Amino acid sequence: MSSTDEQFAGLRKGLLEFAILTIVSGRTVYVGDILATLAPTPFATQEGTLYPLLSKLRREELVDYQWVESGQGPPRKYYQLTDKGAGRLAELAAYWRHLTTTLEGLGR
Amino acid sequence: MERVVTINLNGNSYQLEEPAYDALRAYITRAQGALAANPDQAEIIRDLEQAIADKCGGYLSPGKTVVSATEMTRILEEMGPVEGASENEAPRAESTSSASGEGPRRRLYRVKDRAVISGVCSGIGAYFDLDPNVIRLLFILAALFTSGFVIVVYIILMFAIPSAHTSEEWAAAHGVPFNAQEIIDRAKREYGKFAEDSSKSWRREERVWRRQWREQQRSWNAGFSSWDGGARAQSPAKPVGYAERIFAGLFAFVFSVVTAALLIAFLIALFSFWTTGQLMGWEAPADTPMWLVLVIICIVYGAIATPFAALRRTSYATLNGRRDVGVTDDFITIVIAALVAWFAWVYVPEARLLMEQSYVVVRDFITHWTN
Repeated sequence: MSSTDEQFAGLRKGLLEFAILTIVSGRTVYVGDILATLAPTPFATQEGTLYPLLSKLRREELVDYQWVESGQGPPRKYYQLTDKGAGRLAELAAYWRHLTTTLEGLGR
Repeated sequence: MERVVTINLNGNSYQLEEPAYDALRAYITRAQGALAANPDQAEIIRDLEQAIADKCGGYLSPGKTVVSATEMTRILEEMGPVEGASENEAPRAESTSSASGEGPRRRLYRVKDRAVISGVCSGIGAYFDLDPNVIRLLFILAALFTSGFVIVVYIILMFAIPSAHTSEEWAAAHGVPFNAQEIIDRAKREYGKFAEDSSKSWRREERVWRRQWREQQRSWNAGFSSWDGGARAQSPAKPVGYAERIFAGLFAFVFSVVTAALLIAFLIALFSFWTTGQLMGWEAPADTPMWLVLVIICIVYGAIATPFAALRRTSYATLNGRRDVGVTDDFITIVIAALVAWFAWVYVPEARLLMEQSYVVVRDFITHWTN
């Protein structure tokens, strides 16, 4: 398992953006939610990676955030998918399906 | 006892132990470096600080108001290394390998936060996953059975084993994975690249730094110690390697012993000549005045001792990298002088004779002076 982990690190890293867009598409979430959702999956990640990636996605206008007061502590940034982001996600999903069917087809 | 630093993370104040503060500052500095090209650098840093603040809050309660170094290490591990430009698809095999399976390289460091004397025993304990008290007991027993010889071994270890200043080193001492290692490795790689690209300008930088360091040393030697000055001298942050520090430690020890022995020999020679007119059976030529011989002894001592003292200082500087050298340096010299004298007294009969003689010399000198 650990060697698989290591081998495919690059692959997962490339797909992390896809995973985050998927999470954000379902509901409005803050960073804690994203980390918790990803933690049990192979995409488990850390703040140090997530914040720069979210800021890049926001710069590309794929996600947006708004400040929401939380019960305890300071207000939090809640992220949601923009229309452009929804478009990109659909593209990615279609491309991913295309890749997997191609790979399956090659084996035959 | 640890000094506490109060910091402001996004408008809330937190109290951190000093090593925890150092680790946090190093983490943020590295994050800023990794995000240097990022237009949202400031915002990401604010987000990271807020996340760290939230995590700190998890360790605090009305009964516990200070975040410890261990807790900060854990928090920064949870945070993980800050990725630079995400377009840059750097392979991450290293970090995953340290996160899973074989674990990081374990290294022997002195661990000061659980130290009784200098952290040698707690460092060895951390290395072998043993209670430091067990190691301490073994050391004391060994010292008793070898009639003090192990004390010398301990002192050598005290010099040879670098102490864990940063959380990374602390983690390496305990064999705990520390994800920021990746950042350090990257920083080192970048430093290598940078050194290749601009070795000339680097060398110029280094010369400036060396000069600053020498000035700093001088001001330390004058009894003035300033943390800010230390931080400035440290700024180009050329890392001193582990092996380098071990060698520096051993040299520091050897040179300390040599300078201490020279000092004792010089004092004995001076007094014995002053009073008996001869030095270990050697007499000055009859027509040479006493004061000239004494001056010559002083000059010879200076000529022999100065290079050793300089070597010792350099060793200490390398050993400590940036820590305050001046005061501890002189203190350690006195301690070592005492120890060398003690060992000479116990194990070298000639030296003992000399010392007994010099006692008589000093006594006679004082009676002569007071009468």
